[in-house]
Amino acid sequence: MSQFISGLVLLIVLMIPPVARLMESVMIIHMHMQMPLLVIAGYFMARLFMDRFPSFFEKYNQNGLPGILLFTIIMVYWMLPRTMDEALTVQTVEAFKFISLPFLAGVPLRDSWKKLSKVGRNNLITLFTVMFLGFGWLYIQSNSQLCNNYLVIDQIILGWGFITMAISMVIYLVYSLIVDPSKYE
Amino acid sequence: MQTAIKQNSFKDKANQAFGISIEDARISKSYLSVAFIALLLGGLLGLLQGLNRAGVLTLPSWANYYQILTAHGLLLVVVLSAFFTIGYFYAGLSHTLGGLLPKVRKMAWIGFWMKIFGFVLVVIPVLMNEASVMYTFYPPMAAHPVFYFGLVFIVLGIWMLSAGAFTQVANWRKNHKGEHLPILSFFATGVFVLLVGATAFVAVEVIFMIIPWTLGWVDGINVMLSRTLFWAFGHTAVNIWYLTAVSAWYVVIPKVIGGNRWNDHLTRMVVIPLVIMNITGGFHHQIVDPGISEGIKYMHVFMSLAIGFPSLMTAYAMFRVFERTARRKGGKGLLGWFKKMPWGDVRFLAPFIAMAAFIPAGAGGIVQSTNQLDQVVHNTMWVVGHFHLTLGMSVVMTFFGISYWLVPYLSKRVLTPAMNKLGVIQTVIWTLGMVIMAISMHIVGLFGSPRRTSFTTYGDFAETLGWNPYMAAVGIGATLLLIAVILQVYAVFNLMFFAPKGVTEFPIADTEPGEAKTPYWTERWGIWVVLMILVISMAYVIPIVDMIVNAPPGSPPFKTW
Repeated sequence: MSQFISGLVLLIVLMIPPVARLMESVMIIHMHMQMPLLVIAGYFMARLFMDRFPSFFEKYNQNGLPGILLFTIIMVYWMLPRTMDEALTVQTVEAFKFISLPFLAGVPLRDSWKKLSKVGRNNLITLFTVMFLGFGWLYIQSNSQLCNNYLVIDQIILGWGFITMAISMVIYLVYSLIVDPSKYE
Repeated sequence: MQTAIKQNSFKDKANQAFGISIEDARISKSYLSVAFIALLLGGLLGLLQGLNRAGVLTLPSWANYYQILTAHGLLLVVVLSAFFTIGYFYAGLSHTLGGLLPKVRKMAWIGFWMKIFGFVLVVIPVLMNEASVMYTFYPPMAAHPVFYFGLVFIVLGIWMLSAGAFTQVANWRKNHKGEHLPILSFFATGVFVLLVGATAFVAVEVIFMIIPWTLGWVDGINVMLSRTLFWAFGHTAVNIWYLTAVSAWYVVIPKVIGGNRWNDHLTRMVVIPLVIMNITGGFHHQIVDPGISEGIKYMHVFMSLAIGFPSLMTAYAMFRVFERTARRKGGKGLLGWFKKMPWGDVRFLAPFIAMAAFIPAGAGGIVQSTNQLDQVVHNTMWVVGHFHLTLGMSVVMTFFGISYWLVPYLSKRVLTPAMNKLGVIQTVIWTLGMVIMAISMHIVGLFGSPRRTSFTTYGDFAETLGWNPYMAAVGIGATLLLIAVILQVYAVFNLMFFAPKGVTEFPIADTEPGEAKTPYWTERWGIWVVLMILVISMAYVIPIVDMIVNAPPGSPPFKTW
């Protein structure tokens, strides 16, 4: 219950208009801070749903793959320039952002993550690494403004943010490939 | 495998019984000797500056105030702190991990000579007055290229030493599956991770920006970017020494006062966030720099103050340990237990004053990382007062306290009551000197007296003449400090070569009996390092890309002295 409450508090704090406005005023903070924090809020809240409705998760997310698929679709959707723009201009899309990221990405991520094997987890990270490199390239090389609401410099910064994140994930993947924890634990 | 474990635990026991091996002791003794020689020289130069700013000493024509300031900063900030940290932690690794591996020893020596070689390269242009750029070497001030080559070797030496420490830790963990790294080595791992992370930034600054620019291969340098890279290093360096001092507070001091150390799990939970969140704190040194938007500065205040949280945990933990120990010894009353602390023991007294100094020092730090408040004190003597409290008291006095048991432990000698008394006197003089100096620096800074300025009466302008009494107090403080420096250096070399032979223990406190087991995930250093990189990239990508994409033409080198 305490995890659910901390997740809920995080979600509410992120929804407070001045907080949301501050975070959405910078493109990279919008995508790489506000959105992941919404997922984290959902990740915390998931505990309660998993305890209350175990049969639901058992039935629809037996091996974790459906949940991860849903998570990936929601994440990719919010990485598109168009959706970011609409979140800022269309109120219902903004509402959808605050619902979809915690409940359709954060909750299934938590339920699926522990059901995945180590290979499955690393494949997911690899998928996101490749995607981040692709999106990074898209945002860096584009000369035209992809979002009405953000300047080209914001785009370039976001692009490099994708690249640095991808580098961090590559370092993690290399680490998990070359270091065998069973030698130490 | 089984035999390896047996052999290792035998080595552990031998190590505990016979003390440190001669080869391992030689490494740490070499580092400590360099550190304390640097203290002597740096302290002497500090006195010259203090007397100059007090208006009682005119520097000879062949010495430049900024040259002396550069040397003072480099000797104390770069040499003393780094060499002490490495000597102390290598002794700790040797003691807690069953002696250094032969290859690690070799790496420690290669690192040592690389650092010394680098330092010689740095010193030559400083002595020739070709590198009076102060220890921050902000472009567009440019020193002789050899100065920067020296810095590169110092960084390479640090990487070698870090690699040695990681090798030692990895080897121990392979032979002690599923065990927690001993707490002092846990601190050491954190410190060496931070050393690599921090120096990576300054290496990029020096190798890819400054060296090509001072050699004339490129015309201009991106000043904002180089400052940003410098402070990612500079701030972390400060925190590395602080973390070194903190390691002694958590691990050693409880043993010295005869108690148990603070909860193992929570201690490790102080180290981990300090490692993950440290480097990004560098931004608060640029809080009034132009070219960084206010929004970014505002967000970075959070990152800086986030480091304050583990510090507050530390403050609580320390006084909890003190009170628990003193009450066990029969201390009574709300504050009466205070009398039960071993005030006459320099190994406790010096670090205790260091901790107490961190209260005003930390508060001053919060002032400086708050934009509006910093505008009052930025680049004034206040800042100098601040880092003489943090480094000159919190860190260095802990180092002094450590030296009174570490040096005899390494040289297989003992701390005699007479030497302990000398240590107490030294601590008192140092405290007096630093308090007088730091307080007057803070006050005169509030009045507007600038830092990094040689003595001047500003054409006898009335307002600025009012600063002079405080600057005289700085001179008095500096004089007391040099006396304390001489006593300290005497004590160290006496304990190293002349004190009576005997066995000195490496004091490492045990945890409270019956404490809950620390979860194993605290040992996942790979994850902490990846998280650290992730936090750094999130924090730095916005300003750095902005500084590069919207860069001005760049500045040619200037020699301002």
